[in-house]
Amino acid sequence: MAVLDRMNSMFRRAPRWTYIALALAFALIFPVLEQYGVIETLWLRLGTRTLVYVLLAVGLNLVLGETGLLHLGYVAFFAVGAYTTASLSSPRLGYHWNFWVIIALAMLLSMLFGFFIGLPTLRLRGDYLAIVTLAFGEITRITFNNWESVTNGPGGIPGIYAPNLFGWVVDKPGEFFYLLLAAVIVVVWLLNNIKTSRIGRAWNALREDEIASHHSGVRPLQAKLLAVVLSSGVAGLAGAIFAYYQQFINPTYFLFMQSTIVVCMVVLGGMGSIPGAVIGAVVLDTTPELIRQLFTKWLPDAVGADFLPGVQTALQQDFDRYRMLIFGLAIVLMVIFRPEGLLPNKLWRREVHEDDPRDQANTRQHMFDAEKGAQDLEA
Amino acid sequence: MTFEHILGLTISGLTVGMIYALIALGYTMVYGVLQLINFAHGEVFTVGGYIAATTLIYTGVDATTPLAAKIGYFALALIVSIVLTSFLGWMIERVAYRPLRKQSRITALLSAIGMSIVLQNLLVIIFGPEPIIMPTAVVPTGFIEVFGVRIRLLQVIIIVTSLVLMGLLAWIVKGTRMGKAMRATSQDMEAAEMMGIETNLTISFTFIVGSALASIGGFLVAMYYGSLQYDTGFLYGLKAFTAAVLGGIGNIYGAVVGSLILGLAENWGVGVTLGVLAWLFVFGLIAGLYVQILRAPGERVSHIAEEFRTPEYERLIRSQYQLAPVVAVKTLLSERTDALVHVSARHAVRLMAGNIVLGFFAVLFFMNGEMQFASKWQHVISFAVLMAILMFRPSGILGDNIQEKV
Repeated sequence: MAVLDRMNSMFRRAPRWTYIALALAFALIFPVLEQYGVIETLWLRLGTRTLVYVLLAVGLNLVLGETGLLHLGYVAFFAVGAYTTASLSSPRLGYHWNFWVIIALAMLLSMLFGFFIGLPTLRLRGDYLAIVTLAFGEITRITFNNWESVTNGPGGIPGIYAPNLFGWVVDKPGEFFYLLLAAVIVVVWLLNNIKTSRIGRAWNALREDEIASHHSGVRPLQAKLLAVVLSSGVAGLAGAIFAYYQQFINPTYFLFMQSTIVVCMVVLGGMGSIPGAVIGAVVLDTTPELIRQLFTKWLPDAVGADFLPGVQTALQQDFDRYRMLIFGLAIVLMVIFRPEGLLPNKLWRREVHEDDPRDQANTRQHMFDAEKGAQDLEA
Repeated sequence: MTFEHILGLTISGLTVGMIYALIALGYTMVYGVLQLINFAHGEVFTVGGYIAATTLIYTGVDATTPLAAKIGYFALALIVSIVLTSFLGWMIERVAYRPLRKQSRITALLSAIGMSIVLQNLLVIIFGPEPIIMPTAVVPTGFIEVFGVRIRLLQVIIIVTSLVLMGLLAWIVKGTRMGKAMRATSQDMEAAEMMGIETNLTISFTFIVGSALASIGGFLVAMYYGSLQYDTGFLYGLKAFTAAVLGGIGNIYGAVVGSLILGLAENWGVGVTLGVLAWLFVFGLIAGLYVQILRAPGERVSHIAEEFRTPEYERLIRSQYQLAPVVAVKTLLSERTDALVHVSARHAVRLMAGNIVLGFFAVLFFMNGEMQFASKWQHVISFAVLMAILMFRPSGILGDNIQEKV
């Protein structure tokens, strides 16, 4: 773990914009690499999925990381967005609405949904909120599963039309990658601004101590509601684009596991830090695929044909299961050994490491200052 | 809607409720001592069922096995399942919860969720995604006729076994030294430790007892439905947790009461027509109106200090409740002067909204009296119960006031 800390401080030495610029440059040339055959389409598809997860993780970070509310039904908002697209832009109900109208409507609907669910439930705290949101997420999925006249039940909605942005018909994975990248940039920029604003500090105050912040003039219900509504809007946006990209959706895309995966991403990256959420999403979504490629392709290619045949077949057959197993282990190990995440937010680290010597030194310094101030006052 | 129909629904509701109770007890005991929602408990239940079924398959019991041998194998499966599952429960606590005991509760809950994912996927990797089939030879197949209703012998066995186990648990908690230690730990862990109670041992014991109960529950479910799937425990765990919250989490009797109510609600909810269900809403509306018009204003008025209790002031508070929303909304819109008046105005509006919702559903159900919920909505009923109970009375039916925890 010390290695991680050292890497962290090493990375911090360079100005932040260099990393942002590097990441953006990599993301921008990524589809081009695919076009010229440097990487396979598989990786581009994976990258597109990762960007959807990045959107979700950044959105959930607002609720889980900034405000400290454990929301386990986040995928429900994603589902609302996806089903909005699927119903209004597919042969199923016979509509073919404009892309922008649908995106706006999807965000609006999921925000309304978040508002009406948040209004009664946000009075609860901690574990209870987690369970209620979980139950609500399951209700949403079961409703989509059973409401056959609109959603076609477990059969799902196929044949979603390609979006048309002022004449640009987006229908290749590379184009979707750029579309999602644009969405990620806009959302991250907006959320980063909100985070450093007045309401962002109110959220952090609520996370640290609800009662104290209430007495300092923060209105808990309003502030939490705003966080939930904004983050459900982000999820609705992600869902709408995801449905366009996937061209087919059914309720199995919106299982409880999806919510858990997004929670893992936020926790792994470091709660309350937007770069952390992005890194968490990228790491958790790409690592399993990298491991699979490593054992089924790269190592056998490098070493010889029969490299660990047992591992190979296991990874090929139950890959999804191993992926989830790794996720589960990652959460447990993460909260035990490094609860502040890969790229932590300073406040949160202090929260989980109360006996951290660095902070104790800080506190002693503060106490010393305070004592000195008091002595000065007396004198 | 015959009497036999209702009785049949009640019996199957009680059976399911008893199984929920076996799981809910584990949740509620762990919550009592650690204030932690043991999210992996549902998976512990599944593992218990899987171990029992695997043991029985391994012994090769079939229809030709003599009865004595069948009973022997049955007992063997039960014991193996209890021992291994208790060990699993103990290990989960040791690995995933103990290192986090001093940290914020959100991290412990996350660890529990991670543990649940790990267990679920381990089950799939070991046993495969298809359900494990219980050997039918050991499942009793008799019937009992009561008032013209055929009750499966297995249902009787489930109900009786659960009652015996609950009696045993009540004795452990109330009558033994360990139970005393458990109660002390749940009240105040530090103080208990200072009194010489080994809290770590007590917590481990709590997990072991809870897991043993869950494993028996898993075995019973596997016999009742004939099979068990890797994700069965997720839903059962969630419903059992609902039941524990419904009865008041941390309260052992509450868990049993809540489970029975939930089991009955699930079976009645999809078994009878909406016209019958509407009467429940009518009763709820009567209770709600009683609270709004008589009980709540009385309680508020009793909060007023003697010297301020003038007749006008009392009338204002009462009329806020009784004439809500006219007076209450007027108060809320006016300049804020008096905290008690404002708090009761908000409370009155909330009660009013609840009563309107109840009345709306009653009318809606009466208008569609002939219809019936399809059984695919059964799960939604318990989730709706969970959301309703957490919003209106988070402390549950038999719970103490736990406002500060919620």
